[in-house]
Amino acid sequence: MNTPSPASRPWNWLLAGVLALLISAPMLALAQDEDAEDEIELAEEDLACLECHDDPKLSTKLESGETLSLHISTEAFLGSMHNENSCTDCHYEIDIEDHGQGQSTITSKRELGVSMGDSCRDCHKKKYREYDDSVHALLIAQGNEKAPMCADCHNPHTVTSWELAEPEAAMPCGKCHEAIFEASAKDVHGLAQADKDSKAPVCSGCHQAHGVKAASLGSGIRDTCLDCHEDAAEKHKVWLPNSERHFEAISCPVCHAPTAERRVNLRLYEGTGKDQKQMLEKTGVPQFVKSARAADADGTGLGDRELLSLLKEFTEEAGESKTVVRGRLEVTSGVQAHQLAAKSEAISDCKLCHQSGAEPFQTVVLSMAGPDGRPLRHEVRSEVLNSLFSIDAVKGFYVLGSTRIKLFDYLLLLVVAGMAAGLLVHIVARWLFRRAREKAEAKLRERDGK
Amino acid sequence: MRKIYIHPLPVRIWHWLNALGILLLILTGLQIRYAGLFDVMTFRDAVVLHNWVGFFVGANFLLWLFFYFFSNKISVYQPELSPSKYFPAMYRQAYFYAWGILHGERNPFRVTPEKKFNPMQAMTYQIVMLVMLPLQFYTGVLLWDSVGFAGQIEMFGGLRVISTVHMLLTIAFIGFLMTHLYLVTLGHTFGAHTKGMITGYEEVDDEPVAKTDAPDVR
Repeated sequence: MNTPSPASRPWNWLLAGVLALLISAPMLALAQDEDAEDEIELAEEDLACLECHDDPKLSTKLESGETLSLHISTEAFLGSMHNENSCTDCHYEIDIEDHGQGQSTITSKRELGVSMGDSCRDCHKKKYREYDDSVHALLIAQGNEKAPMCADCHNPHTVTSWELAEPEAAMPCGKCHEAIFEASAKDVHGLAQADKDSKAPVCSGCHQAHGVKAASLGSGIRDTCLDCHEDAAEKHKVWLPNSERHFEAISCPVCHAPTAERRVNLRLYEGTGKDQKQMLEKTGVPQFVKSARAADADGTGLGDRELLSLLKEFTEEAGESKTVVRGRLEVTSGVQAHQLAAKSEAISDCKLCHQSGAEPFQTVVLSMAGPDGRPLRHEVRSEVLNSLFSIDAVKGFYVLGSTRIKLFDYLLLLVVAGMAAGLLVHIVARWLFRRAREKAEAKLRERDGK
Repeated sequence: MRKIYIHPLPVRIWHWLNALGILLLILTGLQIRYAGLFDVMTFRDAVVLHNWVGFFVGANFLLWLFFYFFSNKISVYQPELSPSKYFPAMYRQAYFYAWGILHGERNPFRVTPEKKFNPMQAMTYQIVMLVMLPLQFYTGVLLWDSVGFAGQIEMFGGLRVISTVHMLLTIAFIGFLMTHLYLVTLGHTFGAHTKGMITGYEEVDDEPVAKTDAPDVR
């Protein structure tokens, strides 16, 4: 007997269609509601702006000769974090009456960036305060033309959350710090970022995005290292004698970037105890450079006495607080600080530092914080570390073996050789006088016998 | 010759532990300072051993201090406070080692349990035990934890001042040790004094102390 297939029955199709509608109708309604919530509607005046500005060809010629694109993509703007802002929230100076009519008053892209910074400050107060304290802001205050402002890193019309950005590659830091950026991509953190679940930091993870400081000032970014590597201090204590002192006086890459070149940085401090702080060059008074050059008359680097007299000069000018140097071991460049290797490759051989002539102690610099937030440096002759004058000049920096005072080596030799010679003379004299001594002793015994 | 009991057992134990400790401290200390010049042990092992032995010698010092404070033996360290007595006596002792000993004269000093150090020894041991050893221990402790004791280090003028004092004292200890080891052999036989420090008994002449040819400075 032939039985018709279910698909051949038209009412079956009808029934299936009704059922599908009944099930999907509430879900469709819900989806429509969600879309309605996500949809940002631009105000009429914003749409009016975009009517002209959403044109990729729209641009203007600035006094500086630069061409400034005036194109704002509506789509990109709607996808940005600023999509709920109106154009005039930031561009409040625009007068609708004559906008776009005459020649632009903007002289350069840089000037535009500086002037628009105030708009950012209105909403992002906290981030701006951090930025104001950064090396980038200090550089701008000193007239630097390249230091970044808000818009150099964040395009205000397309800005999205950094959480959505691809790590490292999306960081704007590489625009200026190209060599460091490339080195970092190949080091242990950069390579770890290939793993999406990795917690390896991008630039801002260690340097802070807005409050970035010169890494070679203060305690550098050691504390940031310890934020992630929480057990590092405890683990070093297990095998490293005096580990706290090592943490204080050595920057992490010195051991953890094994191929790097190292140097001693004698940093100028004023005050004592807890009040001691790193010296900062005053704006407009290039005292450090001037005095260091004057002290280093022959230009071969500061010698022991020259360093001592320079410190006295700083102390006299500072008034009551004494100027001292505190030594720190560091790598010689930012690129080298970003060549961090895997833990197993880190240097754990004490002799890298603790022996005469050790490589890290062949280059020595004297430094203080410059007014632009970057360190100022002057070369110091390496023998300063082994000089008797270092007891006073470099009082806070002593490394067993490598910075020992040579004079005491000679003193030790002199005492041992002198003692040995004296004792040898005594032994020889006793041998030479042996007959006279024996006679005298016999005489004494004879006398005692009587 | 007769034997008298000079060195009580606690003193002998203390002496040999101290000798071993100071010898190890000098050797590990030289290894720390001159790593690379010679490498009997790794720098790290030398530092770790130096620290442990340092604390051991420090504890041993306290043992010595308590023994002498809480026994009647303290008199052996009692200093001769009168310069008119002390200096001529020291001069006679120095004269004996420089001249008298070569010419068969008798040692102007006769050891007794109550007065077991000659004037030169008494002066030297007091300096070593009451000045050098405590100061060396203290500077060593500061260097052992230079972060924890940062305040005290700064008070004395910095890490370099502390390490300089530690090094100068080391040189003095080496000088002391060389002289000590040589003078120990100048008993009536080569090993007499060493044997005395092992058994506790020193062999002493029956004869009276001879007058030396040293000029009488009094």
